[in-house]
Amino acid sequence: MACTVKRWLVLLAAVSLLLVNAVPAVASPAPYESYNYNYWKEAVPSPDAYLPERTISGRDLGISAFKDPSDVNVSPSGLIYILDSGNSRIIVLDSRFKLLRVIDGFMMEGSKETFNLPGGLFVNEEEHIYVADTGNSRVVVLDGEGTLMHTITKPESDILSTQFQFQPLKLTVDHVGRVYVVAQGVYEGIMQFDESGEFIGYVGTNKVERDYGEYIWRMLSTKAQRAQMVLFVPTEFSNADIDPKGFVYATNIDPGSNEPIKRLNPSGEDVLKRFGYYDVKGDIRFRNNPGPSKLIDVKVLGNGMYSVLDATQNRVFTYDDEGHLLYIYGGKGNQVGTLKTPVAIEQSGEHHLVLDRGKNNLVVYEPTRFGTRVNEAVALHYRGEDTEAVNIWREVLKLNANYDIAYIGIGKSLLMEKKNEEALGYFELGMDRKSYSVAFKRHRREMMKEHFGTFLTVVITLIVILILTRVAAEMETEEAG
Amino acid sequence: MKQDFIKFPLHLIFHPIDAFWDLKSDNRGRLLVAFAALVLTIVMMILQKQYAGFLVNYIDPRTINSIIEIATVAVPFFLWCTANWAVTTLMEGEGKFREIVLATGYSLIPVILIYAPMIVISRFMVQEETAFYYLFNSIAFFWFVLLLFIGMMTVHQYTVIKTIITMVLTLIVMGIIVFLGALVFSMLQQLYEFGYNIYRELIFRT
Repeated sequence: MACTVKRWLVLLAAVSLLLVNAVPAVASPAPYESYNYNYWKEAVPSPDAYLPERTISGRDLGISAFKDPSDVNVSPSGLIYILDSGNSRIIVLDSRFKLLRVIDGFMMEGSKETFNLPGGLFVNEEEHIYVADTGNSRVVVLDGEGTLMHTITKPESDILSTQFQFQPLKLTVDHVGRVYVVAQGVYEGIMQFDESGEFIGYVGTNKVERDYGEYIWRMLSTKAQRAQMVLFVPTEFSNADIDPKGFVYATNIDPGSNEPIKRLNPSGEDVLKRFGYYDVKGDIRFRNNPGPSKLIDVKVLGNGMYSVLDATQNRVFTYDDEGHLLYIYGGKGNQVGTLKTPVAIEQSGEHHLVLDRGKNNLVVYEPTRFGTRVNEAVALHYRGEDTEAVNIWREVLKLNANYDIAYIGIGKSLLMEKKNEEALGYFELGMDRKSYSVAFKRHRREMMKEHFGTFLTVVITLIVILILTRVAAEMETEEAG
Repeated sequence: MKQDFIKFPLHLIFHPIDAFWDLKSDNRGRLLVAFAALVLTIVMMILQKQYAGFLVNYIDPRTINSIIEIATVAVPFFLWCTANWAVTTLMEGEGKFREIVLATGYSLIPVILIYAPMIVISRFMVQEETAFYYLFNSIAFFWFVLLLFIGMMTVHQYTVIKTIITMVLTLIVMGIIVFLGALVFSMLQQLYEFGYNIYRELIFRT
């Protein structure tokens, strides 16, 4: 008997060894650890949403290496434009990353002109290339072939001081040709030019964060001391992008700001939705990290989503239109997929492109199954097709059971289908109290409607029984008396 | 039995001025009731954190720790009683330590009586109605403070102003006790470390 038990145990041990080997330990192919923030503001591990696919350097394209590239833009037709600042040229690739042509200058008034440390570029539907030619204090507008159309130079306006230096850094153009320029040392907002290059004015100003301690300190100081203090001026914008509806997304690098991303409506007000658990500002918790995210680029992805590039930890944060953090990828390092000095983020089809100035290359990220599903579900939700989104959300939950947005998404769809009680559970998992309240209100009303009759019957029966026992007791005492 | 343990405490919370006087002069307070009130308050605090409705419960369930809950209620309770006794002894208060414990314990009764039903009701509330939950919780707190105030006033036979002053002083003394406690604790620790280091030196010498 004992012998057989022993034999069984040995067999079990052998089988368990075999089984351990049967399941291979899957190493994450990403050189970074993906994470997301939960309701309690803890960074919890998450599946990778995007994985590095390849990098593209100048040598890969058969031209000389990039030198301090500063911006990348994908035109609506899918061509990729890389602004290679150090070499004063624009490199045009097709959507399969094959070199089409190099623009290294343009003809202006009969002479050949070149760029001088250009900072940013933008390409519109007609393949017109807008280049912020920082060193030459102008914005150059070229057509698709590289011939000059016009330039925007230092604007003449009463609201600008005479010492004003026009140094455009980044720019974006809306569909009617208005140019939005982020210029160096301009803290009044984004400079707006009309299609002919006339200065219209500023849009969107960063507010100065009030610091009451500093305010009191200032009150107590003498005039001479005050003169030596730092001025509190609003921070400059760091980058801008435009969505198909004509709203300008802008980022600033103010480290103290809780609203470093703005979505400016045509009158310059910030209309970004911030319905997530926490501020839309990149990293919200930093344990060993050197502080808050420094957002240096924003890319509108479509369907209300947008990605921002953080230069502190070299990560990309993607949000949906309601301000929920969808996923985070990227990181510091020297491997393929980690970044040294990222400067710009773009989207080409399904791929995300991040331009790395430190490594002089363009990193191409492709979405994983998780990333694709999240994107699809968010798109469906954005279009109001929540019922279709549910199946995708369920698949997302299989890949990441900690994905709160998926729970909320399913809950909202169930709510739409009037399955209030089921929705309750999902909202509780997703910690969405507002929607939970709505679902609970409906559920409670249903319950009341359904059980009000039973409830009244019970109450009335109880009252009748109570009266009867009283009467009976009285009669008994009377009889006894 | 019923008179002392149920009727009198309920009478006390609605007629505190009479009842606290009865508690002192007629010796009607029971320490058992005071401690039961303390224990039940702790239980209510724990139950509230664990079972209050989702819409009002912002506690991370992973952080609920009954030991800490007990400490956060019981330690201030006894600290209050001790500090109050210390202060009022110097300020001609007539209350004995037992009476202070009784008054403080009995004052906690409204907290229990309001928390218990609110925990149940909060599970059936929607967002708009949660205001009532917070309202009733605040009422419980202010009722407690009011009872404590009247209790202290009656037990020590103070005027209103003097009661307020002693209560504020009690809070300050509570702080001092905590400070001294921390100081003594840290010194004992250093003393232990010192002794342990000498011991280690000695055993490594041989």
